[in-house]
Amino acid sequence: MQIYLPIAEMSAHIMTLIGMGGLVGFMSGMFGVGGGFLMTPLLIFIGVPPAVAVASEANQIVASSVSGGLAYWQRRAIDVPMGLILMAGGLVGSYSGVQIFKALRAQGQVDLLISLSYVLFLSVIGLLMLRESIQALNARRLGNPVRARRPGQHSWILGLPFRMRFRRSKLYISVIPPVIIGFFVGMMSAIMGVGGGFIMVPAMIYILRMPTNVVIGTSLFQIIFVTASVTVFHAVENQTLDIVLAVLLMIGGVIGAQIGAYAGQRLQGEQLRALLALIVLAVGARLLFDLVVEPQELYSISAMSSAGETP
Amino acid sequence: MTRRAALFSFALMALAAPLAHANVLVTDLSKDQISIRGDFTGETLLLFGAIDPTPHGPVDGVVVVLRGPGENVTLRKKQKSLGIWVNQQAYRMGPLPGFLATVSSAPLAALVPPQERRQLNIGADQLDASLLSGTTSAAEKQEALQAYVRLKRSDALFDENAQAVEIIDDRLFRAEIKLPAGMPVGRYVTEFFAFKNGRVVGYRTGELPVDIVGAGHILGEAAHHQSLLYGLSGVALAVFMGWGVAAIFRRR
Repeated sequence: MQIYLPIAEMSAHIMTLIGMGGLVGFMSGMFGVGGGFLMTPLLIFIGVPPAVAVASEANQIVASSVSGGLAYWQRRAIDVPMGLILMAGGLVGSYSGVQIFKALRAQGQVDLLISLSYVLFLSVIGLLMLRESIQALNARRLGNPVRARRPGQHSWILGLPFRMRFRRSKLYISVIPPVIIGFFVGMMSAIMGVGGGFIMVPAMIYILRMPTNVVIGTSLFQIIFVTASVTVFHAVENQTLDIVLAVLLMIGGVIGAQIGAYAGQRLQGEQLRALLALIVLAVGARLLFDLVVEPQELYSISAMSSAGETP
Repeated sequence: MTRRAALFSFALMALAAPLAHANVLVTDLSKDQISIRGDFTGETLLLFGAIDPTPHGPVDGVVVVLRGPGENVTLRKKQKSLGIWVNQQAYRMGPLPGFLATVSSAPLAALVPPQERRQLNIGADQLDASLLSGTTSAAEKQEALQAYVRLKRSDALFDENAQAVEIIDDRLFRAEIKLPAGMPVGRYVTEFFAFKNGRVVGYRTGELPVDIVGAGHILGEAAHHQSLLYGLSGVALAVFMGWGVAAIFRRR
């Protein structure tokens, strides 16, 4: 059945949208990644205006992170004060991101900003994931266990002023680094329509030195608030949130995530992780291709507004 | 339906006793308005009417135009810069119709001389608009206008078809215009022309409102006029769904 998306101003098959939500949800349930960094480009590929894709995908991530975050909440695996500090930076970041987005939109350059950000992040993430899974596969073949990285010395940035005690993370560090990390991830979230877990989680482990058992829960906790703010800011400033689209993606996403989590416990991870890395790289390559190759149509209509009179 | 009945009786009258100024056309549409609902995937509009052959004999052909509301448009052109294709020039023009269908019973060139066609503004190649900001050479503006027509055609919002009007027995005609799912909303204008020896011998015009109705309408209005409430509802819905699904799957 076709359904009309009132803000995207296009008609799409309802099962295409639920199916895309399901597929990305499946991968996120399986690998524990958010999936926004795949969903937004996929939406753009099927013809959803990039600005609508970003706002609506942020809205979907609210649902998936609430769903995932609740489990960590019950396990008490969330460092709430740390989450709130990250969130404070994140809210300022998401507001700034939406303002940058709005300004570039008026210049007709927001699609370029989104594409370039994706090309950059997808190639970095894809290569890192690929390297990690190849190392894991090699290690398995050679019979060596994968060695966990040892946390090194506390770096000087954690000793900056405004130190605070974070009981659940067993840390006594400055609030400046988490605020800055939150700010950048919030800005990325607003521009790319992602939760930013793929940046947040490594930053928490390697920069803030948080113990791994609270990292995912705390990341989800702050993603809920940051993507919620991104959704509202985009709705107010750019009017690009399509609730019909977001709800269809949510339906697919939550179902897919549950199936993916179930499958993830039963299937062998490394090959699939390598496959995900290749998918991520392929999406990045496609976006880069569209930027580099001369387009068939050089012109585009970027804004229409009612002129009152019929010409 | 009374309007249609009235039109029909008028059609009979017109056929029976030609009017002095000899407008040979009487016309109507299969619908008074187009309502875009959640499941709207486009439809075919039927435009039909009667031709009075008495004053001039059989007409050479009929042209039907359906024109969408005028919009101010920003058109951007990409250029290569640092190895990637980037929007560079912007042309703000208007008003231009967001939808334009021109259907006829024969090729336009066979029915109307070029200067007459320009005067009557029939066909997408006759479009013109004023630049709303900046200055551009005439050639550049013409290129941008042509690009606008090309883009609209690829979205099926502009269409020209010289076989979409059927004339039956020199007295009746029916035209079909395809309305795509992405058609802009607003007040559309219909124009009917009957041609004989390159001259207009019959002309009718009318209106066709196109609106989004139902949930889509409410959401669209809310998104633009109650955007804070709309955004917060999106978040509330997401929290509710995320929570609900987690609860359902935990119980299993």
